[in-house]
Amino acid sequence: MSDVTLQQSFLTPKRVEVLRDYVPFIAIALVILLFWALSGDRFMSMRNWTFIAQQTPVLMLLAFAQLMIVTTGSIDISIGSSLAFSAFLGALGMLWLGDGGLVLGIFAGGLIGMINGTIISLLKIPSFVTTLAMLIIVRAAVIIMSDGTAIYITDSSVSGGTNISSVSAPWLLSMGKFPAIFIVAAIVAVAMWVFYEKTAFGQQLRAVGGNEKVLRLVGINVTAFKIKVFAAAGLMVGLAACVNLARAGAATPQAGLMIELDAIAAVALGGTPLTGGYGSVVKTIIGALTLTIVRNGLTIAGVPPSWSQVALGVLLIAAIAISLNRSRIDVVK
Amino acid sequence: MNDGSTQPLLTVENVSKSFGGVQALRDGSFDLKRGEVLAIVGGNGAGKSTLIKVVAGAHVPDGGRIVIKGKEVPRSEHSVSHMQDCGIEVVYQDLALVPNMSAPYNLYLGRIPRKWGIFVDERKMREKTREVLKQLNVTTVQDLSQPISSMSGGQQQSIAIGRAIAWGSDIVILDEPTAALGPNETAEVERLVEDVRDRHGTSFILISHNLDQVRRLADRILVTHHGVTSREFKRDEITSDRLVKAITLGE
Repeated sequence: MSDVTLQQSFLTPKRVEVLRDYVPFIAIALVILLFWALSGDRFMSMRNWTFIAQQTPVLMLLAFAQLMIVTTGSIDISIGSSLAFSAFLGALGMLWLGDGGLVLGIFAGGLIGMINGTIISLLKIPSFVTTLAMLIIVRAAVIIMSDGTAIYITDSSVSGGTNISSVSAPWLLSMGKFPAIFIVAAIVAVAMWVFYEKTAFGQQLRAVGGNEKVLRLVGINVTAFKIKVFAAAGLMVGLAACVNLARAGAATPQAGLMIELDAIAAVALGGTPLTGGYGSVVKTIIGALTLTIVRNGLTIAGVPPSWSQVALGVLLIAAIAISLNRSRIDVVK
Repeated sequence: MNDGSTQPLLTVENVSKSFGGVQALRDGSFDLKRGEVLAIVGGNGAGKSTLIKVVAGAHVPDGGRIVIKGKEVPRSEHSVSHMQDCGIEVVYQDLALVPNMSAPYNLYLGRIPRKWGIFVDERKMREKTREVLKQLNVTTVQDLSQPISSMSGGQQQSIAIGRAIAWGSDIVILDEPTAALGPNETAEVERLVEDVRDRHGTSFILISHNLDQVRRLADRILVTHHGVTSREFKRDEITSDRLVKAITLGE
């Protein structure tokens, strides 16, 4: 076989296939080289990379949540609203119960996920529609609950009779900075990899994305499984909300606006088909990192924000266009 | 095959089933002995697929009796999982495998072995898969980590049949097992069925539109016509002509 391939051109179908596998890695390398060339040391400085290391974790955790759901062939566009809701509940939890009350934020995310999963699998409403409705409802709920105001996390207690809600939690603020935030993200990433690649639950995510009907025929309760998937993804969103709270130092009703689109883009940049059945944790991390780096690099290069959005959109289409094997696709919807 | 003095493995008596106002199956009756291949043939809408779905547990019959190894299946317990417990497995035409998963995963579908409750015991799965493939004399599957969609149709069908017998079923229902396969792969699957029957004593119920295949594989051929299992032939006594007449005219 090697004789035959050696005689052919460099880009044999098999090599193209292997190359497609590496598109996310090639993309990130090119992006780094490009901005290095454009902005030199302003981009390639310790200070900037520390900033990137602080920026990436929230998006990465949200992309993990999205990865679980996309692998089963569904989608969740409510995670931005869920992030704001969970962060707000986490902050409220700290106001009511002290530092430990932050876990309320994680459970709030899990609860929203469970509601999504239940509506989708019991009422059989497509995930896009269900989570679109939840995106609207949950965002409204945060605004009603917060009355439009934020809860601030502060270094020291705010004295005086202001009507500003605040919680004194210096530990949480330091968690939102490098290196703590990076270490937390790394631990969650390893746990996610083990969960996705090595557990029966992780394998079943892919199987559901592959052919749900077959699983039902062998007696697997797919309905219950899907509720669990959305709940697990919701817990991950809740965790992302807590990290975001630490990072931003406040729970605001506008937190996480449109971030669901970034999470989906990160998953897609990581080479995961939105039709389900396949996925990779490592490449999703690369996808989230690529997105953060591009946004950061364009800002440093002085590109106006609106134009960076255009560039991000183009990058997304280009990366997916290259990584798709069009000869295997019959139907596009 | 058997002389009839031993009790049948499976007896189906006067089974009927309607959907809404349509009676898909009026009277389904047959029996199946150990190590026997029984083919069910009939035109579209003749009731054969309803009949096997009742036997597989997917449809609860309106009337009639199903007796497995001398024990009648009560109507209240008529389900896919009960029939699996009784040793009946089905290889559905296009719904047998999860295409993006590996051969071991497909073999263990619904029975994934675990370590510490949550982790997949991959080594155990690979070993058992090799063992089953060896038992089936399938030597063409090399890389067990590949998704099953990258394998040939014949290999995929082997894995599907392998799953049906790997867990000790006595009766395997094959729903159009070679409809999507080429001639070589069809021969491969037919050889596999005969081999499994001879070595494990497994009984097969074969649904097929391919009358040549039916005459090659089946010991007996059951013809369904207008929802009734109207005729039964032994392999030696049947010609293509008579079979076609029985299918189209019910004679």
